[in-house]
Amino acid sequence: MLPDSNFLSAPLWLIEFLHIVTLALHLIAMNFMFGGIIILLFGKFDDKWNNPIVQKFIKLFPNAMAATVTIGVAPLLFVQLVYPKQIYAASIISGWFWLMIFVIAMIGYYFLYALSFKQTTESRQKIYLSIVLACLLYVSYIYSSVFALGEKPDLYKLLYAEGQGGTIINPDIGSYIFRWLHMITGAVTVGGFFVALFGKDNDSAFKTGKNFYLWGMIAAIVTGLTYMIGLGELMKPFMKSPAIWLVTLSFVLSLGSLHFLFKKRFVFASAILSVSFVAMVVTRHIVRKLALVGYYDPSEMTVNSQWSPFLIFLIFFVLAIATVWYMLRLYFGKQE
Amino acid sequence: MNYPFWDIDIGYGIIMAVIAVIHVFVSHFAIGGGLYLVIAETFARKKNDRLKLQFLEKLSKFFVLVSVVFGALTGVGIWFIIGLLNPAATEVLIHNYVWAWAAEWTFFVIEICAALLYFYGWKKLSAKNHIIIGWIYFISAWMSLFIINGVITYMLSPGDWITTGYFWDGFFNPTFWSSLWLRTGICIMLGGVYALFVASQLKPDDFKKRIVRFNSFWVAGGLVIMMATLSWYIASIPKEIVDAALEAKLTPVEAMNASYINAFLLGIVIIVFGFIIPKRYNIVVGVIAMVLALAWFGEYEWMRESIRKPYVITNYMYGNGIDVANAEKYQEEGLLASMKFQTSDKSADLFRRACRSCHTIDGYKPLKPAFDGTDETFIAQIIMGAHVIRGNMPPFVGTEDEAQMVASHIYKQIDTRHISEIYNLEGIALGKKVYDIRCGKCHVFNGYNDKSESLLGISEEDLGDILDMAGDFADEMPDFRGDEKERKALIEYIMSLNKKESN
Repeated sequence: MLPDSNFLSAPLWLIEFLHIVTLALHLIAMNFMFGGIIILLFGKFDDKWNNPIVQKFIKLFPNAMAATVTIGVAPLLFVQLVYPKQIYAASIISGWFWLMIFVIAMIGYYFLYALSFKQTTESRQKIYLSIVLACLLYVSYIYSSVFALGEKPDLYKLLYAEGQGGTIINPDIGSYIFRWLHMITGAVTVGGFFVALFGKDNDSAFKTGKNFYLWGMIAAIVTGLTYMIGLGELMKPFMKSPAIWLVTLSFVLSLGSLHFLFKKRFVFASAILSVSFVAMVVTRHIVRKLALVGYYDPSEMTVNSQWSPFLIFLIFFVLAIATVWYMLRLYFGKQE
Repeated sequence: MNYPFWDIDIGYGIIMAVIAVIHVFVSHFAIGGGLYLVIAETFARKKNDRLKLQFLEKLSKFFVLVSVVFGALTGVGIWFIIGLLNPAATEVLIHNYVWAWAAEWTFFVIEICAALLYFYGWKKLSAKNHIIIGWIYFISAWMSLFIINGVITYMLSPGDWITTGYFWDGFFNPTFWSSLWLRTGICIMLGGVYALFVASQLKPDDFKKRIVRFNSFWVAGGLVIMMATLSWYIASIPKEIVDAALEAKLTPVEAMNASYINAFLLGIVIIVFGFIIPKRYNIVVGVIAMVLALAWFGEYEWMRESIRKPYVITNYMYGNGIDVANAEKYQEEGLLASMKFQTSDKSADLFRRACRSCHTIDGYKPLKPAFDGTDETFIAQIIMGAHVIRGNMPPFVGTEDEAQMVASHIYKQIDTRHISEIYNLEGIALGKKVYDIRCGKCHVFNGYNDKSESLLGISEEDLGDILDMAGDFADEMPDFRGDEKERKALIEYIMSLNKKESN
């Protein structure tokens, strides 16, 4: 009798917890970069391309990309553990577009390094950043379309019957366009927060960051609500689920963070924004579960916990945090 | 059976090999290069060797761009591609080894962070702190290898896991340790090859001579460890896996031989340009060494993959994603009954599921030349006997009707004229072609499943009788269904071999 591999190697709640935490961290890094690039391209700064805050962001973008990619591996792993059938099926339907994600991301990554390594002309900085932005728009759009498709088993079966070459992009654009726009406007909001934070002593940068934070948040609320209204049949179960309370909480907290950011009280603003952020990630998670009701319920999966490997992972996880902390202290601390 | 099939014109083997080999070529350098940097820096600091430190700083920039960007993203690319090409196997790996992947990820986080701090820290950090970060980088990178090695080797030699399903039984499997040290040797070799590539761009002075020789010691040391542990690695692969692989095809041997030749050539390049005339280690030589190292790695991976055939996870899942545990069920109920993704063309669906992971009709590993000039019944019989065909194929686990459907799908796309017409051949040449198409899939003279003893030295009449009764010799053996011209030519061909033997 061969081993059955159709099991979860830890209780579902634990995997979901790890997924949500790592996804939130990934999104923060991604938003810093994505939102930051949009603000640098379209925001107003004094002596823009020589502004120290703008240059600081340009220097930090490659590291933000590194963090986005590195941290992003974990949530992708955990989501594949719980929803492999949905995610692989949807990604195969859009196979070529899905595969191109890592190539396009790499192109963007190299342009960020090219920008950060060499002092270059204003127009070249704009061109490079625009290329990176185009790369990120592609990556995020394909992610949104594939993950949205993964929530529609009937649709991906139908699409497969129509074409098997992996050249189909989720045609149900209405089901994810506002989700994608919400993600972008959310990135602008978080980017605005970081621009304001880094530019707290630089008037034009703070003002730009603050404005993008405000208008990004308004746009995120509008696109988020539009996405929610567009949930259609899911709206009823959504309103009955904890997600509606999380959305409400997130909404209130976002407004609170706005207030504190305007007052330059960044610790409060970031703490509140973080809670709001996690609430949105959990909401997203609940929506996926609701969309798959009747097709797949992960809580019905057999749990065959592998506690000793898990414990080792946990030890290494703590070790990683401690080591990174130690290295940062070495780097920023006094040198002998 | 739970997944759709990504039907692309490019062979799965090609696309996987390109992404995977490029990734491992970079990711192993990312480990060996880390060790190289920190040890070279320690020596340079002790001797206050400014030139060498400048070189190392330059190398670390190259290192970050190659390993942190290219290595990290091609690693993500592997995740993407295995999910597209073999989602069923990827699911098995994730369900069984998620905590291994997760633990590896923690080292990946340290590794990337350390790489960046090491690179940015040349001017900011004290010598001691810089070296500490260098060591943290190397240890975390090597730990990543340690963990991933457990999962990769599990796929070839799952050991006791196949009966217990226990995490550690699969992780510390029979090839774990030998593969770990082999790969460590590869890392060291690649660390040197990449450092030589950067050094090749230096102007030919005394410093270049010194640094090229230093780097060449790395390559030479790595090569020695690699070639020594390669023998250990091959010896540690369970005998039944090696025997089964070698019985069915010579690909692993060919790949190994090619890898020996490449290692030898790399050794020559290093001895000549690295040690004897180091100042002449220019960019062309640097590229040649890189290409040889890449080719070596490709051949090694080719050998590893070909030994594992017909499985993707030995004795657990076939290369086409069909699970061994349910093979009997599929044979009874049919594959279609379990295929959750189907189109209006069921024959094409079956073809994709059973054959398309490895074969195309007329592209990569094409079926057209293998079946041109034959008929549906012959193709169906070959499909039903796929597991005995030369080349280590997985068995066809559908019903006979389904084999017929696959045959009909293939038949529609081949040249249905007689073999003599298609290839415009006659006599012995035609006979050889007929043999290759109708018999050579399972029997090679003096090779796989050799039938020399029973075929050579007998009369034309007896050969004719054997052809007439061909289908009765074994369940997997198809009837001879060629026309009279082919029959005559085939006998003529075998008789000609007879004459050669007697001469």
